[in-house]
Amino acid sequence: MTELSRNRSDAVAALEIDRVGKLFDVAGRRVEALRDISFSVRPGEFVAIVGASGCGKSTLLRLILGLDTDYQGEIRLDGRRVEKPALDRGIVFQDHRLLPWLTAEGNVAAALRRSGLPRRERRRLVAEHLKLVGLENFAGAWPAQLSGGMSQRVAIARALVNRPRFLLLDEPLGALDALTRLRLQDELARIVRQEGTTALLVTHDVDEAVFLADRIIVLQPDPGRIARIVEVDLDGYRDRSAPAFLRLRDEILDTLGVRHAPQQAIATAA
Amino acid sequence: MSEIAVVMAARSVWRPVLMSLVAPALLIVLWQAIVATHLVAPYILPSPATVLARFQNELDGGTFWGDVAASLSRALGGFALGAPAGLAFGLLLGLSRLAGRLFGPIFLAYRQIALFAWVPLLSLWFGGGEAGKLAFIAISAFAPATVNTWRAAATIPAPYRELSRALIFGRLDHLRLIALPSALPGILTGLRSALIHAWLATVGAELFLDIAPGLGGRLNEGRDKFEVDLMIVALTALAVLGLGFSQLAAAAERRSIRWSRR
Amino acid sequence: MSRHATAFLVPALLFGLWWASASEGWLPQQLLPAPMAVWDALADTAASGDLWADLLISLQRVGEGFALGALAGLVFGGAIGLSRTLRTLLNPLFLLLAQIPPLAWIPLVILAVGIDEAMKVTVIAWASFVPVVLGVAQGIRDVPARLRELGRALTFGPWDLVSRIVFPAAVPAIFTGLREGLANAWQTLVAAELFASSEGLGYLISLGRQLFQLDLVLAMVVVLGIVGLAVNGALALVERRLLRWQTIAP
Repeated sequence: MTELSRNRSDAVAALEIDRVGKLFDVAGRRVEALRDISFSVRPGEFVAIVGASGCGKSTLLRLILGLDTDYQGEIRLDGRRVEKPALDRGIVFQDHRLLPWLTAEGNVAAALRRSGLPRRERRRLVAEHLKLVGLENFAGAWPAQLSGGMSQRVAIARALVNRPRFLLLDEPLGALDALTRLRLQDELARIVRQEGTTALLVTHDVDEAVFLADRIIVLQPDPGRIARIVEVDLDGYRDRSAPAFLRLRDEILDTLGVRHAPQQAIATAA
Repeated sequence: MSEIAVVMAARSVWRPVLMSLVAPALLIVLWQAIVATHLVAPYILPSPATVLARFQNELDGGTFWGDVAASLSRALGGFALGAPAGLAFGLLLGLSRLAGRLFGPIFLAYRQIALFAWVPLLSLWFGGGEAGKLAFIAISAFAPATVNTWRAAATIPAPYRELSRALIFGRLDHLRLIALPSALPGILTGLRSALIHAWLATVGAELFLDIAPGLGGRLNEGRDKFEVDLMIVALTALAVLGLGFSQLAAAAERRSIRWSRR
Repeated sequence: MSRHATAFLVPALLFGLWWASASEGWLPQQLLPAPMAVWDALADTAASGDLWADLLISLQRVGEGFALGALAGLVFGGAIGLSRTLRTLLNPLFLLLAQIPPLAWIPLVILAVGIDEAMKVTVIAWASFVPVVLGVAQGIRDVPARLRELGRALTFGPWDLVSRIVFPAAVPAIFTGLREGLANAWQTLVAAELFASSEGLGYLISLGRQLFQLDLVLAMVVVLGIVGLAVNGALALVERRLLRWQTIAP
């Protein structure tokens, strides 16, 4: 049973979120986590979903992964409804969620258990992806021996080893210290560009979204709704201090209702 | 490290060792004093020297080692019967919600009955042979193994269960890569507890059913013949063996979970 | 089917099998007496007053022994938990003695104080003592350093430190020790009564065995189960009241 899609570069199909809503039962009360979310993702695109905690962005990712099938609306992958998890979607959780009783390469290999590939091919893929995230020398290390940043990199390798069509990232860098976070953002940008995977990133860090994404979906909470969708028109390597970068970031912060210090005259510039 | 620190470190290593010997040493001194001043009759409390001589006696010849071997083999035999059964049962109860609801309550009810109450029942059913004793020890190992395994198998953390679904693991993969490794610490605790319970049950059974060969039988012999020195020898042997069991079990547990150590 | 209903499914099935076995004669009466026979045996001992008398004696012994052992255990455990000097001095000896199964002390204790109540209470007290000491010492040792630090920052003296921080933080472990001590005490009581007593619940069981009256044995086993449940339940209730501040760890 091979669930891989080897032709990632096929242009046509995509991910469609069609009027998705989600209701939760919390202590007897009905809570509307998501309402009328609609957008689509083109192949090879990097889309970020930004919002404060509790606006339902993680919930949305779980629906896309297929962990939860109880929602309103439709989620379509290549035109077909998402029924359950499959290897065409790889996920990186906020807690790296490495299995402590498997080594780094054991953890990456675990994602290949259902791939139907011969053992030699699996070994090659594991080695290749550990190299991709820069951890080829730590293949035999136990998670307890790795730092937070390294563990998360292993988790990224695990999510990519199946060459999935979609890479789902649920606040992947939220548990790391600020310096590691910046470094891993660079890494992530490089890796995703190299692999050409379509990526969906959920984050509360606006800078991170502007740095990584081609398009940013801003959610507002209670209930989670799309406030606006922003196209990121920054090319090449993105300079976090460039005026265009900061302008975009401030715009989004504005939408989220967060006051910011105006960067001299930039705020008023068009 | 400065010289003062080195000296202090050395002293802090030896001090506890020496201090821990104070109490036993005092005890022996007190003991000798009681004997020397004839505070109690010598047949009630023999002198330390007598006990030491008896020790020598037993270890050299006699049936002492045979008794130790008999007790150990009974304990381990019963453990080998009861612990795996408890483990399997615990896994069933923990991994299958249905099994837990069906069989859990009656197991909990069964646990309320004091262990030794089964001895008369078993001796009536097995007619007092070795099989009955082994069955009793197996029963004593069964419950601790079950309880710990059950709890461990039933509380696999949600993040891992989610990961299993995200990686679309089949039942076998889930068992091998997620459920069993996650439950392993609890399972080992259960096995350790089962071992200790088996040992306690063995000693108790030997004591009350006057089984020989065995350390319990020796203890009884000492009481029957009023040979307190023999009793002290037997008790010391029990203490040493008990210590050995706990340390062995703890060490085995530590070795098996090497992935949790940094 | 509701949760409560499924709990009774298997017991009901087993009981049905038991009843069928007795009425169809699958197993001889010596091996498995009929449910009614067991019930009759239970009713007889209850009516004759033996059940209550023996039950009372058993409970008394456990009560006395456990109270003695637990109290001593709290004091001794507190002492070695709080004072490193005392711990280094006394702990090794205590641990060595604790390795010896409580029941193994019986022959020696019989020689010392005879075969009567004193023997049973002593052995039961020791059986309770060990787990309580371990629980108290562990509880005190496991009080997080940061809580002790807080106490020092609030300029607590030793009495305040112990009574307001160390002891309350150690209560869960102390209760675990008490629970184990009670379980130990109960097990020891039953064993002692089975083999070295002329009254008590254990004695009744032993009597049944000697007279080859399996129905009496089974009836008393059932009573044991119920009493065990009640005793454990009572302790659990007390524990729950005292530990209301504790939240279940995820």
